[in-house]
Amino acid sequence: MEEPEENKVETKEEVEEEIKEAPVEVKEEKPVHEHQDHHAGTAPRGHEGAAPIHQHHEQKKHEEHHQKPVEKKPREKFNGSAWYDRNYKKLLILSLVIFAFCIAYLCIFYAQHGDIMKKDVSLTGGTMMTVYQDVNVDELSSFLGTKMGQECTIRKLEDITTRKTIAFVVQTEADAPTIRAALEEFLGYELNEDNSSTEISSASLAKSFYKQLIIAMIIAFVFMAIVIFLLFKTFVPSMAVILSAMMDILGALVMVDMMGVRISSAGIAAFLMLIGYSVDTDIMLTAKTVKRRGEGTLNSRIYSSLKTGLVMTPASLVAVLAAYFIVQSLVLKEMFLILSCGLFMDLIGTWLGNAAIIKWYCEKHKYT
Amino acid sequence: MATKLNWKIWLLIILLVITVFAIINPKSFSGDVMVKEIEANSSAEQAGISAGEIIKAINGAQIKSIGDYSEAISSMNLSENQSVRITILTDRQDYVFMTDDNLGIIPSAIPKTKLKTGLDLQGGARALVAPEKELSASEMQNLIEVVRNRLSVYGLTDVTIKDVSDLGGKHFMLVEMAGATPKELQELVGKQGKFEAKIGDIIVFEGGKNDIPLVCKNDAKCSYIEQCSEVSGGQACSFKFQITLSAAAAQRQAEATMNLAENISGGESWLNESLDLYLDDVLVESLRISSDLKGKASTTIVIEGSGFGATTQEAYDAAQKEMNRLQTILITGSLPYKLNIEKLDSISPALGTQFMRNIFIASIAAFIGVCLIIYIRYRKFNLVLPVIFTMLAEVVLILGVAALIKWNIDLVSIVGIVAAIGTGVDDQVVMIDESESTKSYTMKERIKRALFIIMGAYATVMVSLIPLWWAGAGMLRGFAITTGLGVTIGVFITRPAFGEILKRIKRE
Repeated sequence: MEEPEENKVETKEEVEEEIKEAPVEVKEEKPVHEHQDHHAGTAPRGHEGAAPIHQHHEQKKHEEHHQKPVEKKPREKFNGSAWYDRNYKKLLILSLVIFAFCIAYLCIFYAQHGDIMKKDVSLTGGTMMTVYQDVNVDELSSFLGTKMGQECTIRKLEDITTRKTIAFVVQTEADAPTIRAALEEFLGYELNEDNSSTEISSASLAKSFYKQLIIAMIIAFVFMAIVIFLLFKTFVPSMAVILSAMMDILGALVMVDMMGVRISSAGIAAFLMLIGYSVDTDIMLTAKTVKRRGEGTLNSRIYSSLKTGLVMTPASLVAVLAAYFIVQSLVLKEMFLILSCGLFMDLIGTWLGNAAIIKWYCEKHKYT
Repeated sequence: MATKLNWKIWLLIILLVITVFAIINPKSFSGDVMVKEIEANSSAEQAGISAGEIIKAINGAQIKSIGDYSEAISSMNLSENQSVRITILTDRQDYVFMTDDNLGIIPSAIPKTKLKTGLDLQGGARALVAPEKELSASEMQNLIEVVRNRLSVYGLTDVTIKDVSDLGGKHFMLVEMAGATPKELQELVGKQGKFEAKIGDIIVFEGGKNDIPLVCKNDAKCSYIEQCSEVSGGQACSFKFQITLSAAAAQRQAEATMNLAENISGGESWLNESLDLYLDDVLVESLRISSDLKGKASTTIVIEGSGFGATTQEAYDAAQKEMNRLQTILITGSLPYKLNIEKLDSISPALGTQFMRNIFIASIAAFIGVCLIIYIRYRKFNLVLPVIFTMLAEVVLILGVAALIKWNIDLVSIVGIVAAIGTGVDDQVVMIDESESTKSYTMKERIKRALFIIMGAYATVMVSLIPLWWAGAGMLRGFAITTGLGVTIGVFITRPAFGEILKRIKRE
C-alpha cells in the first residue's frame, strides 16, 4: 500500500491525490487512489524525498477518524490540502475542457448525422425482427444489402455462460412484410410468432415519440434544477450541481455515440434516470461543504465527501456494469450501458468540476 | 445488541412478511393445474365443475402439469360417438360422470407467484392504434368497448385495451394480448370490417345486429368446414355458415331480386345477378342466387368461403380462422372509425423465460459487486450484512407492491428496480459515513444530517420521472412506476430502518 510520504508544503513536487492525504491518517485509501487515477490529470505519483514534516499538520487531524492508523508514521502529508489549494483551478479548467469537448463532439456529430444520437427503429420508424437462431452476420448483411437496397443493422444476442449466439436482431426502415420475406428467403423457413419476434413502428409515431422523449428529458432536467435551487438556495453552488449533471448526461451521450450505439425509446428513459441518479453525489458534496461551514476546513470537508462519493459511485457502477455484461436483452443492455457511462462521467463531473467550483466559490467569499 | 427493536425495524419486518404473502400464490401449494373456464353445455358443466377449481387427479392419475392433463385426456380416447366414465378429483370434491368428447374443461397452469409479467416477458402482441380522427373521451371509450367485443367474439378474451395519450395530447388505443398473433390483431383491429352485401348497386344487408340478428357460430349443425381438396399450389378447405337476416333486410332482398331475369346453367336456374359480399369495399365473395328466391323475403343465407395451405392441416386451420373472422365481423358489425395501427410488437414467449433466468443471475452478480465494494471500504462484516438485507428488502417490497396492484412487470421496469436499489446503496453509504464522522453529534442528529442529502436526492429522482408518465404514449410508464415506487419505499421504509440498525451497531 503506498502512502505518499512526508512532504513539505513548500516543495513543489506534485504528489498524487494529495487532497486525500491531507487530513487523515493512513486508512484504507488504496481503492480511493485507484479511482482517482483516471481522472486526475496530475503528475504520476511519486514519493518525494524525506523532509521534516511540519508538526502543526497534526492539528489538521480533526478529520474523521476511521480505523486507527495501522502502520502509518504520525507525520503525514498535509500537502493534499495545500496541493488542492494550488491546483483546484487547473482541475476546474480540465473539467471545463472535457465539457467543451463533449459539446464540440456533439455538434460535429449533429452535423454529420443530423442528430445528436443514432436512433433505432423505435425512434425512426421501421421494423425490428428478432430471430432465435445463429447466423453469419456478414453473409446476412450482404444478402440483405443487395436484396433490400438499403442499410440494415444486424446484431447478435449471446448467452454469457455458453457464449453461443441465441438470436440475432435485424433493424431496418423497410416495412415488416418486406424484411420478413427477405429473411425467410435467406433462412429457408417461415418466420412466425414461435421462432421470432417483431416490432413495427410507423415513422410518424416513432418520430413523434422521439420529439416527446427529448422534451420529457428537458422538462425533467428543469424540474431537477428547480429542486436543487430549492435545496441550496444559493446561486453558484446550485449551478455547479446542475452543470455537473449536464456534463454527466452529455458525457454519457458522447460515450455511447462514440461506441456507435443506436438509442431506443427505453434508452432515452435511461438518460432521464441519469438526471436523478447522478446528482446524488453532487447533492452530497454540496450539502457537506457549503452547508456546514465551520466544521473543519473546506478541504477536509471536500475530502470526506470524496471518500463517501468514491464508494457510492463505484458501487452503483459495479452493479450496473455487471448487469450490462450479463443480461441478454438488447434493450436492457442499452439502458445499463447508458447508466454505466453516466456514472463514469459523474466521477469527473462531480470530483473534478463541481468540487472545484465549490472551492472557488468558498475562496471567493472567504469561507473556509 | 439491544433486544427491543425500534418501530422502524418492526415496520419493515411486518411489511416484508405481508409482501411475501402478496407475492407467493397460495393456490400453488394446493396443486399445479386449475380449471380456467368451463364451456357452456359441456359434460363438465353439467357435472357441476366450476372455474377456479384445482384439478388434482383424473381417473386416478395425478395431474401435476398441463402436460399431465393433456395426456390424461388423450389417453381416454374421447369420441363423440360414445360416452365414457371419467373421475375428476379437485380440491373441492370428487366428480364422477359420463362424457364424450365434449368435456368442456379449459385448463391453465397455476402460476407460482402472483407477479404479473408484461408482454416482454411472457410473449404476446401489443398494438398502439390511432383512430383516423380525434375522438372525444366518450367516443374513445365506446370504441374500446366495440373493439373489446369484437376481440372477445373472435375468441380472444385475455385482452387489455387502454386509452393512452402522449405528451402532445394525441390519444391512442393500446391493445395488449398475451398469446395472440399480430396478424390476427392486424386483421381484427386494423381493418374496419365494413361488410356489405349488394345485389348490383343496392345494399341488401350490412354486418351487425340490425340486419343480421343471428350468425351461426360454434354450432356444427350450421357452421362447418365442408370439404378439402387439392388445388394448384397446395390444399384448400371450404367452409359454410348460415346467417339469418332481419325481416327488413329480407324484404330488401326480395325487392332487389324481384325484377331480375333468370338464366339456366348447370341444370339449375339462377338469377342473372349475384349477391356480392364486400369487406372494406373489397369484393370477397359472389354468391349465386337461386331462381326460387326471386322476389321472396328469404331470411336464411349461407355464406361460403375457403382457406388455403400447403398441407391439408394448414388449409383446415386457415379455413377455420377465416370463417371465425367473417363470423366475428358479421356479428359485431363495422368498427365505428377507421383505425391505423401505428405500432405493432409481437414478442415470442421463448425469449421471455430465458431473460428472467438471466436477469436473476445478473442481480446476484450486482449484489455481490456492491457488497465487495462496501467491504473493501469499511472492512466490517457487520456493515455489509445490513446493506445486503436492506437491498433485498427493497426488492421484495417493490415486487410485493407490484403484485398487489397487479402491475405488469416488463423489461424496462426491471431497470427501474435496479436504479432504485442503486439509490438505496447511495443513501446507505451516506448514512454510514455520516455515522462515522468524529464530530460530537448524537446518532440521531447524524441521521438527520444524512436525511437532508437523502431527501434532496429523492426529490430530484421523483421529479425527473414525472414527464415519463405521458411521454411515448405512456409506454415507459412501467419504468417510471417501478423506479418511483422503489425510491419511495426506500426513503420511507427500508432506509430509515437501516438507520436504526446502524444506530444499534454503533452502540456496540
